[in-house]
Amino acid sequence: MTRTDLDDLFAPEVIADPYSYFAQLREADPVHWNERFQLWVITGYEEVVWLLRHHELFSSAIMKHSTSPPYPPVDPEDLPLFDEVREFRGDQLVEQDRPEHLHQRGVVHEYFTPTAMESWRPFVRNAVRELLDELEPLGRMDVLTVFAAPLPVRIIAQMMDVPFEDRDYLRELADSILYMNRGEPWRLRPLTEGMRGIVEYAAPLVEERLECPGDDFISILARGEKTGVFTRHQVLVNTGLLLFAGHETTMNLICNGLLALIRHPDQWDRLRADPAGKARLATEECLRYDPPVKSTQRIAAEDVELGGRTIRKGDRIRWIMAAANRDPSAFPDPDRFDIGRQPNPHVSFGSGIHYCLGVALARMEGQEVFRALAERFPRLELATEEVEYQPSIQFRSLKSLPVTWTQGDQ
Amino acid sequence: MTRRLDVFVDHSRCVGNAMCLATAPGVFAHNADRQSEVVDPAGDTEEKILEAAFNCPTGAIRVEVDETGKRLFPRAG
Repeated sequence: MTRTDLDDLFAPEVIADPYSYFAQLREADPVHWNERFQLWVITGYEEVVWLLRHHELFSSAIMKHSTSPPYPPVDPEDLPLFDEVREFRGDQLVEQDRPEHLHQRGVVHEYFTPTAMESWRPFVRNAVRELLDELEPLGRMDVLTVFAAPLPVRIIAQMMDVPFEDRDYLRELADSILYMNRGEPWRLRPLTEGMRGIVEYAAPLVEERLECPGDDFISILARGEKTGVFTRHQVLVNTGLLLFAGHETTMNLICNGLLALIRHPDQWDRLRADPAGKARLATEECLRYDPPVKSTQRIAAEDVELGGRTIRKGDRIRWIMAAANRDPSAFPDPDRFDIGRQPNPHVSFGSGIHYCLGVALARMEGQEVFRALAERFPRLELATEEVEYQPSIQFRSLKSLPVTWTQGDQ
Repeated sequence: MTRRLDVFVDHSRCVGNAMCLATAPGVFAHNADRQSEVVDPAGDTEEKILEAAFNCPTGAIRVEVDETGKRLFPRAG
């Protein structure tokens, strides 16, 4: 394979199967300079973990530092909208470095701890049950649109403590914000509409929760404004972050995990033999094997030596969890899908100070979903010859996941 | 009056999130791999140590009473 081939991150075959492509790259050059996109691509497990744990060397403030235009390209007349995207994303918690990041994360961290999230399990379990009760008699569904997409929105709406009847509108906003990850040249229009929508929707709620705080997520953020950690704009865009970060990632966990289980009937049968007992490790393996997020960015904050290469201050870096999770130096037989795999130190939630804030919620959603599906359906069949993915380098997002099942089977 | 605690960090779980270092800096420090180590189990108040354990995003911190071995975190059940 030529050097040029190795640099086309958006080639259709790379979007369809990132694992073969990144495995090749990891073997040939685990700290690779991609000439075409002018960025470093880090694929080795050890290198990825080292990078993530040295946050002082690699800035997360991408929007502040990067001047690259949106890719895939957008309609030229829409380019001014990208400033709006920058402003929105640049003020989110995930784009901050220390010391601000520590103060801001400190405000919301406690809300998402494993112990705190455990109290949400009955709500999550019930939401899964309600959705599946409606769907089961149909005998078929597009998992993505009727199950994996509405589920996280229901949970997030509850965490925001907004009226039940607002759920559909929140879902609309969440769907608009999904355009962040799409390839359509007109995508900045629905995206910025969604961003404006969530800011307008959250603004009166923030006012209200500043006056009468509850134990919901918006109240927690608003408290951060009272103590001077957040500006009002930061409270609003971080409300949007919760809606977005918990939406697409959870959709992908459910769809990619279920697809892996359907394609490995022996593993589905293992899960079915003891859904409650096996759902925890099975969820971790789904996260490792086909992670919701394939890669994330950093910017070098100074010159850094990594894997024998010199990364220069200001260089863009993409680290690939989809490659690190399949590194044979960290995972025996890495391309095998094994729902009992242990240990399973995958990097699908990152590592270091930016380790996914919603990790405990994501895990719980995965566990409850895979458990419920295995308890309910003896066999799910894929109702399409081929599955297609969104043309994103960051997210591993199916465009749809049609499945069928036979009712009344035992 | 203060009881002695034993504090453990499970390195198969620790991802170096470093919130424990911010909460109880007298107890926890990072090693060369940027994982938490207990440098002094008496380096902070019991309240702060339990807060650090509670807030660990991967549940990597275990806290016990030294004298009795009674587990304070994670709570049983």
